[in-house]
Amino acid sequence: MRRSEKKALKKSALLLTAGALAVGLAACGSGNEPAANTGGASNEAAANTGASGGDSGKKVTITFQNIYPDETSVTNKIMKELVADYEAANPNIKIELDSLNTDQQKLKLKTQAASKEVPDITIVNPAAQMKPFVDAGVLAPLNDMLDQNGLKDTFQKGLLDYYSFDGNVYALPDGNNIEVVYYNKDLFAQAGITDVPKTFDEMLEDVKALKAKGITPIAIGEKDTWTGSFLFMNILLRTNGGPGFLQDVMDGKKDFNDPAFTEAVDAFQELVQAGAFPEGATSIDANAGGNIFKTGKAAMFIIGSWETGNIDASSVAGKVGAFSFPTVNGKGDVNQFMLAPGSGFAISANSKHPQETKDFLNYFMTNFPKKKFELKDAVGLGQVVEGDFAAAGYSDLAVGILDLFKSVSGGDLAFDNTMNPAVAQAHLSSIQNLFVQKVDSKQVAKEHQDAFAANK
Amino acid sequence: MNVLKVRWWTIGIFVLPCLLLYMMMVFVPIVISGYTSLVEWDGIGVNKTFVGLDNYVDILFHDPHFWPAVRRTLMYAVFSMAEIPICLLFAILINRYVKRGNRLVSIYFMPVILSVVIIGQLWKTIYNPLDMGGMINGILNALGMQGHMRAWLSSPQFAMYCLYFVSLWQYFGYHLIIQFTGVQNIPSDIYEAAKIDGADGFKADRYITLPLIVPVFKISIVLAFIGSLQAFDLIMVMTGGGPAHATDVISTLMYNNTFLTFKYGYGSALAMTLVFICLAFTFVINGVFNRIEKKVG
Repeated sequence: MRRSEKKALKKSALLLTAGALAVGLAACGSGNEPAANTGGASNEAAANTGASGGDSGKKVTITFQNIYPDETSVTNKIMKELVADYEAANPNIKIELDSLNTDQQKLKLKTQAASKEVPDITIVNPAAQMKPFVDAGVLAPLNDMLDQNGLKDTFQKGLLDYYSFDGNVYALPDGNNIEVVYYNKDLFAQAGITDVPKTFDEMLEDVKALKAKGITPIAIGEKDTWTGSFLFMNILLRTNGGPGFLQDVMDGKKDFNDPAFTEAVDAFQELVQAGAFPEGATSIDANAGGNIFKTGKAAMFIIGSWETGNIDASSVAGKVGAFSFPTVNGKGDVNQFMLAPGSGFAISANSKHPQETKDFLNYFMTNFPKKKFELKDAVGLGQVVEGDFAAAGYSDLAVGILDLFKSVSGGDLAFDNTMNPAVAQAHLSSIQNLFVQKVDSKQVAKEHQDAFAANK
Repeated sequence: MNVLKVRWWTIGIFVLPCLLLYMMMVFVPIVISGYTSLVEWDGIGVNKTFVGLDNYVDILFHDPHFWPAVRRTLMYAVFSMAEIPICLLFAILINRYVKRGNRLVSIYFMPVILSVVIIGQLWKTIYNPLDMGGMINGILNALGMQGHMRAWLSSPQFAMYCLYFVSLWQYFGYHLIIQFTGVQNIPSDIYEAAKIDGADGFKADRYITLPLIVPVFKISIVLAFIGSLQAFDLIMVMTGGGPAHATDVISTLMYNNTFLTFKYGYGSALAMTLVFICLAFTFVINGVFNRIEKKVG
């Protein structure tokens, strides 16, 4: 009796331990029950009428979640300065920074949103990426705050549309960028390349010439899958002869089996096969990938114009120029770009201090462009800046990028800003796969179409 | 069974705090997870659609990434468990031939106390391509074996084995210390008695050490098994499940579905599947060991 009892006890203890360990993991995946009330608009309105100015004596802490953890970056510096200035002027306000990498922040916000604990200020990405948060009612509309201090007029025309749903603006962008090809003039010269490529075939030739000299042709960090996708989408923008491919797919006018799509996949694979990318690209994260270019080890870097300031601050400063992605098989228009309206600052609908938070964000966004301009990081800013860039000592690269901006006649948003997250993830891993093996473009198209059909 | 001679409610009071904590941390989440696995939900909205067992059907029959992930997870477990006999062998050898075995075992234990993130970054560098300073490729290059050089973590064929290896390297010391303690705890008078009877060296190991080490061996096996089913952090740091799902295990697949694709219900169903697999295999392992214990004991 005692023996079997002991045995049973041992058995169940073992089982429980196993269960506990397994469940510890499972708990990650389990969701908190959503609050019965979405909060959203009604909460917001109530808070607005009650709180304005009334709390001035109390100590208020505002949590400011952001994606600028890099202490050496200009934006981090600006953020800290503006926060310090604001705290000095408003002694009752304390602003707590929660600085995270882009991907970490996305995940953290996602879990916070699931438990309705969104920080007072957070970061969301435009269009399709922020839609679930807007639909869930976790973000506060910012219309009233935009009208204060003329903040609304500082934004470029049409830019806020990417952050607006049903006539309400839910986030304020930190920038507005285009995808360009940065190139290292010294390395181009070393490989005997005299002019920037005007066509995709010329680009392939240049890639081969660089490769022959032992220079990594194109820097990329494809562990963070968006980088490869961003480049791929630029090719698609060309093979499609203009913007709107994904929109057409969503509207049912086209599907992924379209020749424009398979042609883009084939072109992309030509780059891979020509050895355009660093070896082991899929285990390099995005920052490290950029550093390959910024330390002068790679000749090209195809990325958003947001890198301009960082490149000017790196060891290759002065040697870098930029051009628009070339035409592919004679198709496309070099004045059309991949557009990258920046990450946006949003305010939680359930913030305990909505008015203070709005006041601070208003101050922050009003002064953001000025500081950016002063610190020579105003290229790709979403807001209008007064001032002469060349006279203010901006680099040739920066002025060159600003000229490219002037030539923009249209373009597309990134894949994950257009399609829903499930399709976007399938796309991202499908493109990542192209870096490690040759796949029939029809197969890639099928993967996309299947994912799209399954997640409409 | 009133052996303790205390009132039932006294026992109750002492058990309650732990029981409550356990219920809250383990049973409640599992029940919620079980419920979530039956709905279609993006994780933040209020729009939940009850879909019954659809998520499970999708996982088992339609998800092209699930079965490969299960295979990799089980391979992980097999490798981890296969490591333990080697740990035992080392434990026996160290115990017999090394004067201050404790010190050596402590050194083997070092990787266990390092954070997985650090280990991941370290090994990522070791596996790097040559032009990024990868050590393995550097050695191959120096040996003139350029043909075998590759970007280890970006190769769909090799990346997973590279990850297995790091895990084995890290947990070698962990299981070694468990086995070593087990070996040390076997009373020396048994060996002395055996010596008189003529059983010495490996013969003594066969007839004394092995039968007496079985319970400790079992602990290691179960820990290794469950640990590898949950393998997550190392993979996340080193490859993130890539390239293109080539290193996805059940837990990373679950994570990606839940948090990146906004499919909470589907992710929860994956989590529940993992729980079931854990429980089923724990039963199996338990059964096997009960039989072994009966045989040798």
